[in-house]
Amino acid sequence: MTPVLELRGIDKSFGPVQVLHDVALTVRAGEVTALVGDNGAGKSTLVKCVGGIHPIDSGEYLFEGKPVHVHSPREAAALGIEIVYQDLALCDNLDIVQNMFLGRENKRGLVLDEDTMEEMAARTLASLSVKTVKSIRQHVSSLSGGQRQTVAIAKAVLWNSKVVILDEPTAALGVAQTAQVLELVRRLADQGLAVVLISHNMNDVFAVSDRIAALYLGRMAAQVKTSDVTHSQVVELITSGRSGDLGLTNGVPA
Amino acid sequence: MTESRGPQAEKAPQAEKAPQAENAPSPGNAPEAEKAPPADEHARVEAQARKPVARPGPLARLGEARHLGLLAALALLVVVGLVTRPENFATASNLVSILSLAATIGVITVGMTFVIIGGGIDLSVGSIMALASVWATTLATQSYGPFVMIVCAVLVGAGAGLVNGLLISYGRMVPFIATLAMFVAARGLAERMSDRKTQLVQQDNQMIVELSTTRVLGLPLLVFVFALVVAAGWVLLNRTTFGRRTYAVGGNPEAARLAGIDVRRHTVLLYALSGLCCGIAAVLIMARTTTGSSTHGQLYELDAIAAVIIGGTLLAGGRGTIMGSILGLLIFTLITNLFILNGLNTSDQLIAKGLIIVVAVLLQRRGLESRT
Repeated sequence: MTPVLELRGIDKSFGPVQVLHDVALTVRAGEVTALVGDNGAGKSTLVKCVGGIHPIDSGEYLFEGKPVHVHSPREAAALGIEIVYQDLALCDNLDIVQNMFLGRENKRGLVLDEDTMEEMAARTLASLSVKTVKSIRQHVSSLSGGQRQTVAIAKAVLWNSKVVILDEPTAALGVAQTAQVLELVRRLADQGLAVVLISHNMNDVFAVSDRIAALYLGRMAAQVKTSDVTHSQVVELITSGRSGDLGLTNGVPA
Repeated sequence: MTESRGPQAEKAPQAEKAPQAENAPSPGNAPEAEKAPPADEHARVEAQARKPVARPGPLARLGEARHLGLLAALALLVVVGLVTRPENFATASNLVSILSLAATIGVITVGMTFVIIGGGIDLSVGSIMALASVWATTLATQSYGPFVMIVCAVLVGAGAGLVNGLLISYGRMVPFIATLAMFVAARGLAERMSDRKTQLVQQDNQMIVELSTTRVLGLPLLVFVFALVVAAGWVLLNRTTFGRRTYAVGGNPEAARLAGIDVRRHTVLLYALSGLCCGIAAVLIMARTTTGSSTHGQLYELDAIAAVIIGGTLLAGGRGTIMGSILGLLIFTLITNLFILNGLNTSDQLIAKGLIIVVAVLLQRRGLESRT
């Protein structure tokens, strides 16, 4: 099966600082790919390159096997790539439906088509088995952290997206809400989406991911199946870039 | 099953102190607990998540009914008028004078509401209106007839607003500073063009003056123009993508940008819209005073901003309504009217207006705090 998203030899510099060196990443439908790495390893930069916020300097960007060029968040969204940012990028002063359709509102003639939007939002939330939200016309400011995360994820899957990238979705959540969000992440993959999960938390990574991609100082140290590695091996990959046969040798992939 | 979870949810704080105890109710699936949370945990999580939302305070509900408070204040002022000046207050001519006065600033207030909801401020509205009225009443413009005068006033207003918007969006200037510059410069330009003289609307162009002299259903036409602008503003703000995005840009510009909204372009449009409203207001003031003058509209910006704030629009942006602003404006206009009718000092009137702004903002803050 062709991977939904494949990156090869991605380089990215900001001025004199090279942040990404020859990075390769493969993301498959129906799987959760965990993207791990220490602070400054280049996780966020890589995701922003995928999302069209930063242009890549060189390298190949393949979507469903075809080379593409993504220059803006809109172009990424048009392909079916949605990113849920760490700060969620929700407007507190708008309600759930308004947030989910922000920037892509349905219209009937010149005016907003609230009925259709409400129905689509309700259907998407139901398909994700979200029942915690009292009313979809609630303002986002009145939601708990987990609920906000859920709305942000629902916003991402509303558009028949194929790849959903989640930037540290559980970082600010409590134990119970983390479980809730991880369950949702798993469900997205089970529905056939390709999910990329950025996380610092090894428990989260091992709880939901199928594959792990470890970045070390801007290089892809290893991409492995989660079932083939242990906690400590992944921690070694993150902190030193190698673990036994896995990882980088003298800063170059083995 | 879910019912038996009820009391557990109540004990949530205890459960959090001992995280290991969390999976205790389902010892059977302990090995799977890491892979996926068990179903009954999900129910417990839901119950916990639902809790904080389920209790809207009474004060919050008061905040929701903010328009009711404004209407009550308006009704109170009407009662005061009826009691103190029964013979003058409830007359048709007084009603017409209140509405005519409200119409000019009212049109500006509609534009100001958009700008403030979008997270900005426009100090230049009064000056832009003066400039538009002067430009439209120059001998050269008047020679083309009343329609060109109206188009001229509206275009000058929108153009000045556009300059504001471009300076703020692409010149990266703070709205306060950019519109302060326009506030000073537009009035200067208006003085230049008119030589500080009042320019009369000529006999051939009486059609403009007829806006205030022709009455339909007892009300001058300019009141209907005002009503039309309010209705158009309401539809634009509540029923179109432009309005929705105005709230988003004012509430969280970064989120709006990530959602694919062109925040800069939207900001330009907001100020252009405010300028356009000033142009329409210029037509109304030409109709009312039969003149164009560089002294028109002094302190209008403060009245418009005050009306918007009293109407419940957040000065920080992201929250507000057209109806609130109009009610706020009517309250202000009514106070002016009552002071004049009762022959009271205008200085006392200013003090009263100041107090009203303070009280309105304090009440709103209570409403907001109880909601978050």
